[in-house]
Amino acid sequence: MTYIRWTVIVLFWLLVGAFFHYTLPQHDIVRVSDTYEKRVDFGENSWFWSQADAGNDPNTANRDVFFIQTRLANGKVMVYRNEDTGWGWPPYFKFDTSNLQAEAADLKSASSEPKWAVIKHYGWRNEFMSIYPNAISVKAVDGPDVTIIPWLNIIILTLFFATVWAIYVRWRRFRARRIDPVLEEVGESFEAAGDSLADRRGRISRWFASWRS
Amino acid sequence: MFALARLSLIGFVVLTIIYFSLSLYSRAVRRGKLEQEWDEEGMTGDKDAFIREGLEDYDGSLRRKLILGVYIVPVTLVILIIYLTNFY
Repeated sequence: MTYIRWTVIVLFWLLVGAFFHYTLPQHDIVRVSDTYEKRVDFGENSWFWSQADAGNDPNTANRDVFFIQTRLANGKVMVYRNEDTGWGWPPYFKFDTSNLQAEAADLKSASSEPKWAVIKHYGWRNEFMSIYPNAISVKAVDGPDVTIIPWLNIIILTLFFATVWAIYVRWRRFRARRIDPVLEEVGESFEAAGDSLADRRGRISRWFASWRS
Repeated sequence: MFALARLSLIGFVVLTIIYFSLSLYSRAVRRGKLEQEWDEEGMTGDKDAFIREGLEDYDGSLRRKLILGVYIVPVTLVILIIYLTNFY
């Protein structure tokens, strides 16, 4: 029972962690090497794509998506998609996809003369499902060593855990005051029933014993 | 525009539920405070009238109007996010 309980708890928190890791903004320091667009036919990875540009037909089976190709400050490559989130989830309310593509194209540079930029994005890159993080904004920075403090994430996560803690404490108090006494009472009456049953059985077996001898 | 309409509708329904729950809760808290005040100060006379008057004062108060922030804060937040994401 304890194993099941802990499995459920761990799975739940892994899910919560994955949700925040996917949804909250993260910053990468990159050198934009190219920008392009390609047609995407959404399949089983359609969860990980956003929607058509605001105002376009949302029901098309496929569409062209902007991409930003980059090399990260640590030398690895990263490809971002660049899509509107519109009025949907996650609530970035991004409508300026084409402008962002223009900004990214403007920051294009070769490795011999790198121009560094910070890309704010959410989402995951996964080669096995062909999914890409969605770029939210791009901004030129001086070098590859700038530090960025994720204030928004700090605030959101603090508020979230404060809320969870508040609910947890209240639930504990409610249980101690209202549910535990009732359960104890039920347990006691069960015990009492068990005692009287044992007593009766005792009497019957004693009667049998007397009858046998 | 359909997406915006959907967001507005769902948002309005959810916020309205929060608004009414909060209003009822806040009024109940105020009633409890008035009752406590009556008992502690050992006042005499019509307790119900005292509480009714206190609640009528509360109905006209700024504190009650602040609950409208339930609508105002999220809408402001959305406008702020739209500005920061697209035009900043």
